[in-house]
Amino acid sequence: MKKSLYGAICVVFIFCLSLAPGAVPTACAGDATDQIRETADAVIAVLNNKELKKPENKLKRRKQLREIVDKRFDFAEMAKRSLGLAWNKRTPEEKKEFVSLFSDLLEDTYIRKIERYEHEKVIYTGERVEGSYAAVRTKVVTDQGVEIPVEYRIFKKGTKWEVYDIIIEGVSLVNNYRSQFSSIINSDTYAGLVKKLKEKVKKESE
Amino acid sequence: MKKIDLEAAVGFFLLIGIFSLGYISVKMGKLEVIGSKGYTVYAEFEQAGGIKPGADVQIAGVTVGMVSGIRLDKNYEALVSIQIDDGVRLQEDAIASIKTSGLIGEKFVQISPGASEKYIPAGGRIRDTESAIDIESVISKYIFGKI
Repeated sequence: MKKSLYGAICVVFIFCLSLAPGAVPTACAGDATDQIRETADAVIAVLNNKELKKPENKLKRRKQLREIVDKRFDFAEMAKRSLGLAWNKRTPEEKKEFVSLFSDLLEDTYIRKIERYEHEKVIYTGERVEGSYAAVRTKVVTDQGVEIPVEYRIFKKGTKWEVYDIIIEGVSLVNNYRSQFSSIINSDTYAGLVKKLKEKVKKESE
Repeated sequence: MKKIDLEAAVGFFLLIGIFSLGYISVKMGKLEVIGSKGYTVYAEFEQAGGIKPGADVQIAGVTVGMVSGIRLDKNYEALVSIQIDDGVRLQEDAIASIKTSGLIGEKFVQISPGASEKYIPAGGRIRDTESAIDIESVISKYIFGKI
C-alpha cells in the first residue's frame, strides 16, 4: 500500500518536471513577443527571398514588405500621437488625409531602409506587459556585429498587438516626429506641414 | 540700560539672520515645507542618466514641475516621481524624456504633450518615456563597432 503511494508521488513528480521546461519558455516569451517575432520573421523571409531580390521584382518585393508591415503597425495611432496637440484641432477629413500621408511617409522612408538589410539578425531581449500595453525589446545585430537596441511599444487590439511607437537607440520615433511637426506648425501653419509632407512623400517615392 | 539695548539689537539681528538663512535654504533647495502644491505622477526610465531630485520638468521650455524623487524599482529600472503644478494636465500619450541642457549641462525632464483625450490622474504613470541618451556609448558603438 505504502509502496504504491510513493510510486504515485514519484509519477506525479516526474510528470511535473517534464511539464516545467515546456511551460516556462512560453510564459516568459509571451504573446506580445511572439507576434512581433512573427512579423519580423516574415519581413526577413521576404528580404532573403532570392527570387524577389532580382531587380525586376523590386516593386513586388516592396509591396509584400508593405503588406506585412501594414498588418502590425497602427499607422492611425502613430499619426495621431505624432501630431500631438494639433491632432484635436483637425477636422475628420484632415485627420484622414494626415494619417494616409503619414503612413506613406513612414513606409517610404523605412521600407527603403530595411530593403538594404540582408544579414541582420534580431535578438529578443525581453518584454513587459502592463494591461493592454506592452513593450518588446529587441536587438538588431548587423554584419559588423554592432548591436542596435530597438524597442517596440505596442498595444492590444482584440487579440492582436499593434505597434504605436518604435524606440531605436533610445530615441522615440513618435517623439521625434512630434517635435518636428509642432515646430513646423508653430513657424508655419498646419497647411504648410501637409504641403511639406506631400513634397517629401513625392520625393521619396520617385 | 544702554548695554541691554545693544544686546537686544544684536539678538534681533541674529534672529533676522537665522530666518533669512532658513528662507534661502528652503527656496534654494526647493524644499516644500508647508504642504506641497501640485500632484505627483510617475515615470519609469531604463536609464535615468543621473537626474536628481529637484531637477526641472518642462513643457515647451516652461518649468511646470520638478523631480521629487528617484529610486530603483523591481525591474532594475529608474522610477522617477514627478511633481506637476496644479492646472497642468498631461495627456495619456504624453512622452517624458530626460534631456541635457547643452552638451554637458544639467539634466531635466521634458514632457511633450500628446493627442489623447484622456489625462493622467494624480498618482498615475507616464507610460511612454525616452531614457537619457548616453552619447559616449552611441559614439563608441559606431566608432569601434566597425572592424
